[in-house]
Amino acid sequence: MRTENSNIEDQALQALLKDYPAPEAPAGFYEQALARATHEGSRRQRNRWIMTGFGSAVAAGIALWFVGGFFFVTPEATISEPQIPGITMTLEEPRTVNLVFASATALDSAMLTVTLPDGLELAGFPGQREIKWQTSLNEGKNFLPLTLIAVSPMGGEVLARLEHNDRNRTFRLRIEIT
Amino acid sequence: MSSKHHSDRMTFERLVRPHFDRLYRLAWRLAGQKSQAEDLFQELLIKAYGKLDELARIDEPGPWLARVMYNLFIDERRRFARQRLHTVEEGNLPGEGIAGLSGSQDPARDNERRERIEALDSALAQLSDEHRTVVLLHDTEGYKLSEIQELIGVPVGTVKSRLHRARAHLREILTKSGTIP
Repeated sequence: MRTENSNIEDQALQALLKDYPAPEAPAGFYEQALARATHEGSRRQRNRWIMTGFGSAVAAGIALWFVGGFFFVTPEATISEPQIPGITMTLEEPRTVNLVFASATALDSAMLTVTLPDGLELAGFPGQREIKWQTSLNEGKNFLPLTLIAVSPMGGEVLARLEHNDRNRTFRLRIEIT
Repeated sequence: MSSKHHSDRMTFERLVRPHFDRLYRLAWRLAGQKSQAEDLFQELLIKAYGKLDELARIDEPGPWLARVMYNLFIDERRRFARQRLHTVEEGNLPGEGIAGLSGSQDPARDNERRERIEALDSALAQLSDEHRTVVLLHDTEGYKLSEIQELIGVPVGTVKSRLHRARAHLREILTKSGTIP
């Protein structure tokens, strides 16, 4: 049997839920979203045509061996900057890059942050310049395929930052667009 | 821009724009975080634009768009679960929602309201995704049971049951914390 107290609780809860705020969209967000949708939608439609026409137009994957065997074994030290690896991409053609992280031990809750230059997008994350994941690494080599799409001919550098506890390492990948 | 592209864009905008505010709020209620909500909204528009011909034949685009958004949300959640990858908590709906609260002429009352909403945030975070979604859509956004049924694709009896349990759980937590009498 419901009591008077229960009714008061119900009313109070209903009032609280009714008052629960949701922010409004930032100014200009809808216009940007519309523009991206029509641009991206058209691009995907074009890509479907390309796939149909050429049958197996699958973007070639390349492996960049960012071997960091020492990465989680020793604290980060000053390391002379190695030559930055690079790839050349074609405008609006997806390209898969396999990042390889080598870890001496299995790690839980490592944080991976991918930062993209203007004009480059990660497939499935249109318009985002920074994408973060919390992930786990196995002992040994861990592959992370990133499918990149150039939406403008600017190129630039992709940064992939891996963090675990107080250690971190940033990998750089130079992108040129043809 | 070709005339076909221009015409498609105009048609698309005419069909979807009237539903933007409601869809944006739905994205917030589902995702609970600003960045994820906006990504979800964006992905919905991209998907819907790709189905413009289908969209143009629908009498009521609102529920169709909401259902597509919900399915995108579920797919994304499953994809991340499979990959053992999880998006970073950037601050959940609570904080960002509270930050957007407009102030009144009564600071003491504003503070009290802020505390109550923080308590509700915390309580909602303890519910399962299914329960939280149902109670927010029904009690906060005013969706009818039949609309929720159509949106999430479960029988209306299940919606009622989730709503009942979600409220009971919230009552229990909020009573214990002294937020409601």
